[in-house]
Amino acid sequence: MRRWRHWLRIAAILIMLAAGGGFLFAWSGLYNVAASSGHFAITEWLLAFVMQNSAEARAPLVNDPPPLDDPALIRLGAAHFQIECVSCHGAPGIKPSPVMQAALPAAPYLAAIDLKWSDKELFWVVQHGIKYTGMPGWPTLQREDEVWALVAFLKDLGRLDATAYRDLAFNTVAEADAKRRIADGNLPDMAQQCFRCHGSAEAAPISALVPSLNGQSPDYLVAALAAYAEGTRPSGIMQPMAATLGDDDRRKLAEFYAGRPKLAPASTAGSATDLGRTIAVDGIPDKGIPACLSCHGHDADASFPRLAGQSAPYLANQLRLWRKGVNTATPGAEIMAPIAQRLDEAAVDAVAAYFASLADDSAGSPP
Amino acid sequence: MRHVPTGLIVLFAGLLAGCQAEQSALAPHGDQATEIAKLAWLLFAMAGAVLAIVLAAVALALHAPDRVRKRLAGSPAVIVGGIAFPVVVLTFLLVYGLSLTASESRGGTADLRVEVTGEQWWWRIAYPGQNGESIRSANEIRVPVGANVEFVLKTADVIHAFWVPSLGGKVDMVPGRTNRLTLRAEREGIYRGQCAEYCGGPHAWMGLTVVAMPAADFADWLEAEAATSLTPADDGAWAGRELFLGAGCGGCHTVRGTNAAGSIGPDLTHFGSRRSVGVDTLPLSPENIARFIEDGQHIKPGNRMPPFRIFSGTELAQLSNYLAGLK
Repeated sequence: MRRWRHWLRIAAILIMLAAGGGFLFAWSGLYNVAASSGHFAITEWLLAFVMQNSAEARAPLVNDPPPLDDPALIRLGAAHFQIECVSCHGAPGIKPSPVMQAALPAAPYLAAIDLKWSDKELFWVVQHGIKYTGMPGWPTLQREDEVWALVAFLKDLGRLDATAYRDLAFNTVAEADAKRRIADGNLPDMAQQCFRCHGSAEAAPISALVPSLNGQSPDYLVAALAAYAEGTRPSGIMQPMAATLGDDDRRKLAEFYAGRPKLAPASTAGSATDLGRTIAVDGIPDKGIPACLSCHGHDADASFPRLAGQSAPYLANQLRLWRKGVNTATPGAEIMAPIAQRLDEAAVDAVAAYFASLADDSAGSPP
Repeated sequence: MRHVPTGLIVLFAGLLAGCQAEQSALAPHGDQATEIAKLAWLLFAMAGAVLAIVLAAVALALHAPDRVRKRLAGSPAVIVGGIAFPVVVLTFLLVYGLSLTASESRGGTADLRVEVTGEQWWWRIAYPGQNGESIRSANEIRVPVGANVEFVLKTADVIHAFWVPSLGGKVDMVPGRTNRLTLRAEREGIYRGQCAEYCGGPHAWMGLTVVAMPAADFADWLEAEAATSLTPADDGAWAGRELFLGAGCGGCHTVRGTNAAGSIGPDLTHFGSRRSVGVDTLPLSPENIARFIEDGQHIKPGNRMPPFRIFSGTELAQLSNYLAGLK
């Protein structure tokens, strides 16, 4: 009788352990979450298996990519990669930081492996990030165009050696200029990144998808940085930059760019069409499209950007974002989005080409 | 049917109260509207008479002695009451209505010709100038009392309809066509009109004002309307003018005498002399102009002017004072 009661007690304890086991195990701290402890081989295999299948299953829902061999797209992706991704993933000639190599899983050194993912799978991973790995998603889900730039770069990564990568991801002339000015105490450290993509007085922007900021009004630039930082103007590339800049630094950078002479037009006048000129100078009243120069002319309000000489791919991309309803929350976008939505595809390209060829925007400006 | 329900009386009394306002076909102040009102009353009267006859027939059918009920069910009663009577009455009304329509759309000799173009969602207005040029305005029509005014009606986009009930009938503005309507206001006053054909979005906010004024006053007004805009009276208004031009308002709006020469939206050269903001949506005042500039999409949802939230409070006041000063 005593023996029987003894076994009963043991059985009861075992049942309690089984029922509350999961919780007690978690509560006890016995499970070792140390990244340094690694995974069992089977756990590692299982996690990779789940991740692969998850990306594969969702890739068909991704929209079709733009042409991924576009050099403007690849260079924008490379410059962004160099700023945000390289410390974890490394790059040709640049070892990944040991910090994320001590993570579990360690961030893959992308230049050293063969990326076996399809375009759409890569897009999905870059846009959404991956749970439990430390891989973040894109800061905004709205800017597919930016995600594709990074994917275009990743597709190109396999053929790059250290020199080719440096040529692609850096803007050597502009960054040297930036370093001098930072050393002189005139500009914040962030200036190097600003110059890398947006160029300087001497160097053009790194990609045709990036605007030149020279000669813009400081008010416009400061407002744009604030809108990026707050996310009212969505951009996964600009938001992390703008959000870390203080008000004084934003103003300093804006004043600096405002004082730079404008670069020569991004393209020649030959590329402009009559349609582009008509829209810019006269508008198309029947379609409710006002002349672009009424707000973007030389003497227009300081809250509007100047467009003369800006690159056509950048302008067309911005117009398409408004047409898709991506960027509608800032005071400027509230004005521009409904107008851009009245332009058709041909008009978008024509008007972008016209402004790209324009050296002087004083035509059509108010007295 | 011993008594009429009180609720019904209240309902109809409420509806009739609407007829006393400045927009009512039952309060005619022009020849055409008078004729139309006459037709309307005749229709009401005849419909009333027919209803009385039908009710009487029903009462007889239910309660009259057999002899009367037999006659009511006989062929002669059906032929006279069911066929001949409606044919005569309806033919008379049809002929009357059609001849009225014909006489109204024939017009007459016009003392003044005003071109009105329906746009989504406002009215483009042009008066003839002395040298054949056209004097452009928007959303408010002024006419001399007693003159035959021919309205030349067009549309820039979809079908709209021009209707000023107190002055006359409703005429559609059809793409690709020019319709004409001659109206005469017989006394001074402000007559409200309305786009009377659904034209999308803020159709319900596409009102119209017709101001009938003495002929001499009208001539003075037209001369002023033909002139370029007033020069700003003070520094604040000058600043407002700078803002107007700098913010690109001239891309859509014209203010004659400045570089603003846009033709997409209403001409604002003499905006300050009109009675409303946003096409009859708000009474004209600097405060309401400011509201419409910043938040027009909440005041008149769907209208084609984007909100301009780029101004500081001072700037907005300067801009709206400048516009309100464009008398």
